[in-house]
Amino acid sequence: MQEYVEYAIKKCEKLGASEAEAYAQKQRIIEIVLERGEIQSERKKENQGISIRLIKDKKLGFAYTSTLSEKSVEKACEAAFALAKASVPNPDWISLPKSTKPAGSPEGIFDSRIAKLKSAEVLEFALQAANAVKEKDKRAVVDDGKFSAFINETAIANSHGINRRENTTLFSCYLVCITKEMGKASSMAFEYEITRSLENFSPTRLGEKAAEKALASINPKSVTSFEGKVLLDCDPAVILAYPLMSSVNADNVQRRRSLWAGKIGEEVTNPILNVVDDGLLPYGVFSSSFDDEGIPRQKTEILTNGVLQGYLHNSFTANKENKASTGNAYRQNYATLPTVMASNMIIQPGNKTLEEIISEIDKGIIVRRFSGNVRPESGDFSGIAKQASLIEKGEIKHALKETMIAGNAFEALKNIIEIGKETRATMYRAYVPPILVDNVKIVSKQ
Amino acid sequence: MELRHHRREMLTISVKDGKMDAVNHGVTEGACARVLIDGSWGFASTTNLEKDAVMEIIEDAASLAKASKPMKKRIAELTQPQAFEDTYETPMRRDPWKSDKEELVKLVIDVDKEVRSFSPKIVSDNVSLRIIDDKLNFTSSEGSRISQRIIRCYGVVTVVARENGKLASAYESIGAQSGLEILEETPLENAGRTAAERADKLASARVAPGGEFPVIIENRIVGLLAHEAIGHCAEADLVYGGSFLADKIGKKVASEKVTLIDDGTFPHGFGTVKYDDEGVPTEKTVIIEKGICRSFLHSRETAKHFNVKPTGNARAWTFEYDPIIRMRNTYIASGDYSLEELAEAIKDGFFLKGGLGGQADFTGEFMFGTQEAIRIRNGEFAESYRGVTISGNAFEVLENVDAVGKDFIMRIGMCGKEQVNYVGMGGPSLRTKLLLGGA
Repeated sequence: MQEYVEYAIKKCEKLGASEAEAYAQKQRIIEIVLERGEIQSERKKENQGISIRLIKDKKLGFAYTSTLSEKSVEKACEAAFALAKASVPNPDWISLPKSTKPAGSPEGIFDSRIAKLKSAEVLEFALQAANAVKEKDKRAVVDDGKFSAFINETAIANSHGINRRENTTLFSCYLVCITKEMGKASSMAFEYEITRSLENFSPTRLGEKAAEKALASINPKSVTSFEGKVLLDCDPAVILAYPLMSSVNADNVQRRRSLWAGKIGEEVTNPILNVVDDGLLPYGVFSSSFDDEGIPRQKTEILTNGVLQGYLHNSFTANKENKASTGNAYRQNYATLPTVMASNMIIQPGNKTLEEIISEIDKGIIVRRFSGNVRPESGDFSGIAKQASLIEKGEIKHALKETMIAGNAFEALKNIIEIGKETRATMYRAYVPPILVDNVKIVSKQ
Repeated sequence: MELRHHRREMLTISVKDGKMDAVNHGVTEGACARVLIDGSWGFASTTNLEKDAVMEIIEDAASLAKASKPMKKRIAELTQPQAFEDTYETPMRRDPWKSDKEELVKLVIDVDKEVRSFSPKIVSDNVSLRIIDDKLNFTSSEGSRISQRIIRCYGVVTVVARENGKLASAYESIGAQSGLEILEETPLENAGRTAAERADKLASARVAPGGEFPVIIENRIVGLLAHEAIGHCAEADLVYGGSFLADKIGKKVASEKVTLIDDGTFPHGFGTVKYDDEGVPTEKTVIIEKGICRSFLHSRETAKHFNVKPTGNARAWTFEYDPIIRMRNTYIASGDYSLEELAEAIKDGFFLKGGLGGQADFTGEFMFGTQEAIRIRNGEFAESYRGVTISGNAFEVLENVDAVGKDFIMRIGMCGKEQVNYVGMGGPSLRTKLLLGGA
């Protein structure tokens, strides 16, 4: 792969590009798909591709191909050059990254056990998880699920001398679980795990947790609407993490899409909140030595005791302010242009367990899944509280039905009462613990 | 055995706050093999199209199917094969690849300019235009040889407005399965204007109140109701899993005003294909006819299980996925009410406009986001609120549909279910009752 990115840079320079960058990716995936509790399909996938970002007189062209050969790379370079010529200059363009600082390699981003996984072993994980669901409770059934092992190879080079490559592995899996009583299905419960290492991975634990979640919505009753305390489990706490992430994204800040623009040094949330973005987190699900422009990853302070410390940059947003990038360039895959994104956004956990927090709630609800919408700019959120239960006098009373929650994430971030201890890697590039917030609307038909 | 080849060519032109992002063009291409051996599936895919690599995925898929066979309790059986030799191509007048790229760039820049000059409250916008050209080849051991070329053009505008330290965002899109003529029929600037107007209006608006209200759902988003409230639960794999529609064939599940269809042949529909990814011809599938549940959406495997004909709903996002049951173009059929007539009977309710993400559940509880809620008082449209996510139980919400409009339109959409895919969603404005997750 490295030979192709290097070849692409030479080719672009020959074509007359002012600057050029090539990004290549190779991926092997083994995947087991569960449907209605049974093995539905096994997939073995291999994909690869290369993209070229080319600049000519502040005009940007971008082209990609899934064919890795000298000829196809040449064609992609020519296409990028032609597209740049067809475009108009972007006056904000300064330069591709020039960083030559060596990248530190975070521990645990490549697990040879994951790399060597055979489909039979992945299948065994899936079966173990499905069995654990059945054993936990007869009423719980797996609806669908997916177990995937990824081996990734990335290479990146640009005309300013950046030339890096890295191999990583990742294992991810999820189960959608429901309960069935008298032929009636309950609400879908979603449980998952994403990990860099199989060391502590237990398919049985995944299955048990999925069954527990599904059982949490059995025999639901409704409550009268009220405004009050909502305990967001790790996943629904993303309601708060998502607008936070969006507001510290320098691209949004510069484009006046962030309510936290110009607020560095100010207290923007409850002082209980401490947040860092750590691209070098050992075993971090989104850790890597360098970002998707080849700039070394780093640890960036976001919030310290509720005070805003800084924003996340890629080279484009950093150049606009004559700053250094924080190593937060992100591409969904080789076929997309780099944007700004958190790496591992870590909301620092508190000291209390979920049980302890519940025991201190006089009246409120706990939400284990949020099925709704969050507007990252305004912070407005509203949606259905799934696998939710009423809490009264420190105890979980009963499951809730047809209950929605609504509020504003920026207000809620100020109204945090407690942060839990049990943090987890979510699918949203954030490590999030349970969070208890006040003054949220709990809406039902009554 | 099925062998699919898929080549996707894509062009994206995007302007942010008046600044040109890179013009993005590329091709992804690959092949996959899906093999069924003694009731056990295996699947393998690759981007390497050399003969040896393709032979290898066939062998890989076969060995996966054989190896996992002892672990599988469910035997996959398919409906009787029908072999087709056919080709299909999106009907179009303006081939996007023959157009001048400079002109497309200019079009996007012009829309961006118009959006930003709409009002001083507008602080930021994104305008993008995308062309996706899919070439799909399907070959099966049952004798099918099908080539399809599907071209989709669509544009998306997002706008952020600011007033008194508050932000509001709005989003609109246009598009179809079509050549560039869609940009003449439904100009991108219309989406730009709608989004700009909405963001401007909502910048300092309050959030809609929470609770159950009579509502009119705008024609532009009624497809979300068709898709989330009913469509998903009519997917035979979900029915099999125990969705609320199981055992409802022939029974009343909605008011007699409701006819709901999933149509794989809708002209220019975003989800239209002549054959699905199992080589089954698509059709117009009536899910609900005047309130009565008539059919589910099937693959060859579920059709065999339910002992019916496959409906052509097995679709795969790319060569990296095996086909699963997906909607195509899902819509509610027209009635004869005007918007004013729909509003007349509402004493205190809302007119819901602009869609956001949605989700369905086995229980029939569904939700989707709205961007704007206009109050209706005594049949008159009044002030605007920020939209909220709405929810309801599909049965109740469809039973409560007491009037259906005549302003039918078909929109574009994307749906995620294990893998994403393009779908059409449509219908006319209609009146029902919903729970608003508001302040």
